Amino acid sequence: MSPIFKKSPTNKEGERFVPNSSIIQKAQTVYFTPNIKYNFELFTSILQKDADFLSKKFKVFGETPAVLICLKSLVDMEKIERDIIKQLQNKKHPDNSHTPITTYIMEDVLYYTAVETVKNLAAGIESLLAGKALVFIEGIEQAMALDVYTQEKRSIEQSETERVVRGPRDGFIESLQTNVALLRYRLPVPEFRVEQREVGTRTKTKIAICYLDDIVNPELLEEVRSRIDKIVIDRILDAGYIEHYIQDDVTSPFPQVQNSERPDRVVGNLLEGRVSILVDGSPFALIVPAIFVQFYQTSEDYNERWIITSAIRIIRLAALVFSLTFSSFYVTVLSFHPELIPATFVVAASSGRQGVPFPVVIEVLIMEIAMEILREATVRMPQQVGGALSIVGVLVVGQAAVQAGFVSPITVVIMALSTIGSFATPSYNVATAFRVLRFILIILAGTFGLLGLAVGIMLVLNHMLSLRSFGVPYMAPFSPGNYQELKDSFMRFPIQWTKERPKHLQPQDKKRVDNRKYNKRSGGEGNNET
Amino acid sequence: MKPNNAVTPVQLAVTIISTIIGVSILGIPNFVTEKVGTAAPLSSVLGVLMGGFGILAITLLGRRFPKQTLIGYNQEILGKKIGNFFSIIVILFFLTLMGVETRHFAEVIVGSLLPNTPISIAIFFMIFLCASVSFLSVSTFVYIHFFYLPFIIIPLLIILLPSIQNVTYYHLLPITGHDVSIRMLFSGGMNVTQAVSNFMVIAMLIPFMKNPQKCVKSGLWGYAIGSLFFIITITIALAVFGAEEMKHLLWPTLGLGKMVRIPGDVLSRVDAILLIAWIFAVFTTLFSYYFLYVRGVAELMRSSRYRLIAFLGFPFVFMVASLPQDIYEVYYYVLEVTLVGLIITIIYPVLLFILSIIRRQRGITE
Repeated sequence: MSPIFKKSPTNKEGERFVPNSSIIQKAQTVYFTPNIKYNFELFTSILQKDADFLSKKFKVFGETPAVLICLKSLVDMEKIERDIIKQLQNKKHPDNSHTPITTYIMEDVLYYTAVETVKNLAAGIESLLAGKALVFIEGIEQAMALDVYTQEKRSIEQSETERVVRGPRDGFIESLQTNVALLRYRLPVPEFRVEQREVGTRTKTKIAICYLDDIVNPELLEEVRSRIDKIVIDRILDAGYIEHYIQDDVTSPFPQVQNSERPDRVVGNLLEGRVSILVDGSPFALIVPAIFVQFYQTSEDYNERWIITSAIRIIRLAALVFSLTFSSFYVTVLSFHPELIPATFVVAASSGRQGVPFPVVIEVLIMEIAMEILREATVRMPQQVGGALSIVGVLVVGQAAVQAGFVSPITVVIMALSTIGSFATPSYNVATAFRVLRFILIILAGTFGLLGLAVGIMLVLNHMLSLRSFGVPYMAPFSPGNYQELKDSFMRFPIQWTKERPKHLQPQDKKRVDNRKYNKRSGGEGNNET
Repeated sequence: MKPNNAVTPVQLAVTIISTIIGVSILGIPNFVTEKVGTAAPLSSVLGVLMGGFGILAITLLGRRFPKQTLIGYNQEILGKKIGNFFSIIVILFFLTLMGVETRHFAEVIVGSLLPNTPISIAIFFMIFLCASVSFLSVSTFVYIHFFYLPFIIIPLLIILLPSIQNVTYYHLLPITGHDVSIRMLFSGGMNVTQAVSNFMVIAMLIPFMKNPQKCVKSGLWGYAIGSLFFIITITIALAVFGAEEMKHLLWPTLGLGKMVRIPGDVLSRVDAILLIAWIFAVFTTLFSYYFLYVRGVAELMRSSRYRLIAFLGFPFVFMVASLPQDIYEVYYYVLEVTLVGLIITIIYPVLLFILSIIRRQRGITE
């Protein structure tokens, strides 16, 4: 049996090596002593320059000298004062007790759950950097590490990139814990798994592989794990870094991993049998495997009526095809095959072009480039300047250019249509892919006419047909065709009619709803209600 | 769990359909009518039936040797040296056929779309398209065929169905033609056989099927549907134009497209849609030839350097495509090459199959 979700075997695997921090390596063999002053100096020698390094001397039970150190940027100061220092100072050690002082503290004084002891400097530094406070007590040759980690995070807001009219308004934020909580909240089932990994030799970024244990295909899961484990990089600053490393084809312009800021969308995909990867520090969740049809679907599609949604999906697909081919079709018709369109159109188009100094292909290329510059400028500009920019865009590029005889009015219309077409696509990354490919098509159409256009489109299609995302054909369910999956592709049939999970993912649990179970349960509940 | 990428029976049938519908669908009504006049429909049915032996033999061989490709069972049945010799001949034939048909394609493109463009550009583009995907996996090959089929068939139907209102029924009479001997009937049918018997690539696909035993049924279905399009096209073209007028039309199917009007006047020439669909059809056909070459050579050389093999075939096909002087010479070459092709695509598999029965050979079955 051939591997299903694997990459083709020709890909070379990089050799794995993990460069360790030299400080940590040296500190591996340095152990703490009963002398707190010595222990304290071990840390100050490394961290004394850091502004957020904090130490506090106090006496445990009013008698034994002790010192607490932490990085105050990472910890909750109030917690330290109220729950640690105050408790340790005020309580008394019962003289008749035989329990050692640390055990007594950990079991009776502090009501902390996350307490552990560390014995050497390396572990001490690592727990400091993880947001723990270390407490040294005179006469004891180990330190207590107390987890008082706290982190600045923004509140949960609606995602900017995937707005909906109807649907939940919460979006992911940068904190991994919060994001996992958002998923858990929607999936209160024991099958929901969140596997944690650490990637990035320097950033030590936490990432979480989320899936539903009884749905996801185990081979797919294993492939996701192995691809993530193979990543060797010093930094993971966003989920995008992970995406680059786990995608199948690096050279393709098309995204092969879906990203989303919406928890409901991620949960929906998990329930189909996909795997989601959350990255600490990034509000985007990655979803694999991704196929082409997913990129023009939105989570809102399932909330509205199916006939209207199907129509909208067809319009989105048409818009995407428009953005790819419309301007190049215009070029090829005007410069090679005016007989293809009715004579009245040709007359209108060519009379508008009177006085335009360039051939059509150059004219369209210039306008497309101007359009891309405008788009890029609107994205990068501060919002306050945005109004000025749109005036410049409308007046200069639109009206003035036409009045000056620089471009023909019909070219501007065509341009606007193809640009709006690409904006109507819900996924930014697939829209940009088509926008870039559009330029190649315009050049091909401008040089070789309809043949060039057809060849260009076929090259794009062939490439898309040869793409795989985690072994899943990118153009499924169109090719290889699958009738069940077509019900939720460019159309969306009523949810009651789509009872099966996508076959290309080969989930363990093939049915979304098990009919027998469903009937039994609903029947029983119905009786109770009446 | 079943592997995702196995070829299904439907995909096999689809591959045959889109391979069969190719360059020749534009000109075939002319060829047949020229020989047998109004007996063209009858004679094309005969031709399709003759081709049926080929598909039957290929699929039966595939069923007998479910783990081997054409190259594999050639060696098994004929012995290693003779088998390889015949394999090379088959591969060379398909490369040559590809060259000739690429030229045919380029002539139509230059003649009807781009009169000022050098013919070598069109030739280059088509070979490049085929070569750029031919080194990919078998599943990709099948997906490409599967994806393009609707874009080939639907425009063809858009042209053919409205043409029925232009039909003049007496153009079809007499069904047996005027003074057409049986021999002429067969020779006209042979033209159709030449056009539809290019399905040999499936011999390279059958071992990749989940269940190779099903290949005979789906192979026959694919062949039947594909060649049905030829019969319908020939019949409708004859019924619309009549035998006399047809002789002056180089590409009667394109002529049908010019007569169709779409309400609303969005496109003034519907035949442009047909031409684009035809470009897709030519691509899928030539892609099949080239895929057979790449896979065949790779298996002969026991290598998996498909990219290199695909690259090396390019100049040969280009050379063959550049040989003919003009369109009439192209037609001459097409007819000659495909006539030789009948030996390779029909007689050869039938003989091979009979030989395998006589020698009581069977492939490894699990």
